[in-house]
Amino acid sequence: MNSRDAILSRIRTHLAGEPPVEAPPVPEVWPRENPGIDQMARRFTDELSAISGEVVRCGSTEEARGKLRELIEEGGWAKVGAMDRPLCRELCRELAGESAAEKIAWAEPGWTPRDMAGLEAGLVEAEYLLADTGTALVACGRPEERLLCYLPPVCIVAATAKRLVEHMPAVWPEVARRAADPELRGEFLLITGPSRTADIEKILILGVHGPKQLVVLVVG
Amino acid sequence: MAHETPHLSGAPFLQAETKGLYEPKGFPSLAESAERSTKNNLEIIAGIPAWQQWREAANRIKAHAIANLDKLLVQFERKITARDATVLYAEDAEQANRHVLEIAREHQVRSVVKAKSMVSEELELNDVLASAGIRAVETDLGEYLVQLAGQRPIHIVTPALHMSASDCGKLFAEKLQEPYTAEHRKLTDIARRHLREDFLTADMGISGVNFGIADTGTICIVENEGNGGLSTSAPRVHVALMGIEKVIPRIDYLPQFLNLLARSGTGQKLTTYTHLVHGSTPGRKLYVIILDNGRTNVLADPAARMALYCIRCGACLNACPVYRRTAGWAYGWVYPGPIGAVLTPHLVGIDQAGTLPFASSLCAACSEICPVKIDLAHQLVHLRHRAVNEPSPMNSWTERLMWRAFAWMMAGPRRYRMAMFGVRVGVRLARFLPWHPGKLGAWTRGRELPELPHREPFRTWWRRNGAALKPAQPPSTLRLPRE
Repeated sequence: MNSRDAILSRIRTHLAGEPPVEAPPVPEVWPRENPGIDQMARRFTDELSAISGEVVRCGSTEEARGKLRELIEEGGWAKVGAMDRPLCRELCRELAGESAAEKIAWAEPGWTPRDMAGLEAGLVEAEYLLADTGTALVACGRPEERLLCYLPPVCIVAATAKRLVEHMPAVWPEVARRAADPELRGEFLLITGPSRTADIEKILILGVHGPKQLVVLVVG
Repeated sequence: MAHETPHLSGAPFLQAETKGLYEPKGFPSLAESAERSTKNNLEIIAGIPAWQQWREAANRIKAHAIANLDKLLVQFERKITARDATVLYAEDAEQANRHVLEIAREHQVRSVVKAKSMVSEELELNDVLASAGIRAVETDLGEYLVQLAGQRPIHIVTPALHMSASDCGKLFAEKLQEPYTAEHRKLTDIARRHLREDFLTADMGISGVNFGIADTGTICIVENEGNGGLSTSAPRVHVALMGIEKVIPRIDYLPQFLNLLARSGTGQKLTTYTHLVHGSTPGRKLYVIILDNGRTNVLADPAARMALYCIRCGACLNACPVYRRTAGWAYGWVYPGPIGAVLTPHLVGIDQAGTLPFASSLCAACSEICPVKIDLAHQLVHLRHRAVNEPSPMNSWTERLMWRAFAWMMAGPRRYRMAMFGVRVGVRLARFLPWHPGKLGAWTRGRELPELPHREPFRTWWRRNGAALKPAQPPSTLRLPRE
């Protein structure tokens, strides 16, 4: 008997004759209140600021583009890795012709971690923003997209304001639906603030292995 | 600190690392920070009106999962295999290690980065990899510190809770030739700099699994530092180690657990990174090793199954007055604190770890704080019962003789009086004895003998005054027991 069958048969033997335990209903966790977008944007900003993340609410794509340019210039970054997604494309498109545009490198299949080590910031697009925890949900299909979220010292997340939801239970039916697709690969990543540790004397330090700075651009 | 004990010795509680019991200053910073964590936990709980419903819901989901464990494991395996992952089963640590080594050989692995995994501690995997010539580096800051120091984690969530910043500074100076510093920011930067290169060059990443989701074939890993993300996506091969009990039936149930785990583990609303990894990422290989290593022993004892509901948040460790004084190594194996005292006897055998359930005052702070409502105090009592009835260190002929003598002595008034007289003489004499005899020493070394009151015993007083205090007629409703 191989180890798989041995373990499963032990489990079956020990559970044999036990009455079945019904599947409990899915807990509500948090009640739905359906707040408006502005209310959620405020909550998102408060929550993420409380854990040292930065939120910039931009009225238009143009404004967000300006903010991105400003971040690139202020940071003095030579190379920013970007995830190939519509909003990221949109934000970087009109940087064309300016010095900032040449600094964008689109994540390509085959990028090795070594290739990405020099990136000074990563630009990723969030599928959803969870207001009550200040969380960005990013869907990463490939390894280099996953690495963009952790490897560079600064992580910039872009999302339209329409992507705001009140909390995790509110977005979960959609997450579950997409996760059920057998063709899906990669990772759904929930980012809640910059990387942190409290392993030495429980003193909080930001940016241990992942990004030291997290900026979320909320567009619209 | 000179605890060079990387090897697991099998739970010799009260024999090895128990200096915290004898020395009030054994682990002062650990005790303080554990207490602070519990206070924080209680404040968070007080702010969530539905907390008790959350616990109840999580407990019922886990009960359902464990009752259907075989079916769920098969479903999880089928779903994640369809997502190009390879699933391997291991009955014990040796088999699991063999799997890891075979994978390493197949992919010509020379270096490994490890995210935090308590299962890998069960396997003593770092030693196994090292003896195969593979360099394995722990990347969680706390784990990195204890690995450099040649120690074992003292806590399941914060492994280096016992080290001060200056201990860390000295460690980095000695092992990494870095200039000494005791500044937290600089220490963290040193670790970042040294480990960065490891992330970029490692051939294999090893992680644990917080939840294995059966209906979608997804593994969920939570972490704060980003090392989990890097370890699982930078190297070409990712090996995820998962205990059989980590499987949950549906992804719909996950938000409940994520909300509980972050708050109980670190007091956050959500951990910084929650990874939902859907099978192997294109361009990377994913292996999931599903480990038994004694967990089916827990299933065999229906009264103990609740121990498998644990989500490893560490809240019961922080809440435990015994853990706060002794710290993690006293529990002799991987899992310390109340959950360790419950799990370890099942996983390594009651004959090995039968003393652990007795390392508790049964104050039930652990039962109160557990986010999945494991009744740890009753689990401890249940295991004590087993430990004195089954082959275990608590079931020796000396123990039996002692308790039989005690029962005999307590069963008659004259015997009882004699015994009490013996105690009074004994306590007066004991202070002149400069030694701590055998087993009794474990008790006497840590405690002062109580002062005997310089007044007559209650029995003598009662003989003199009792008659006058007795009511003339007993109340009619109350029946006094017969003499």
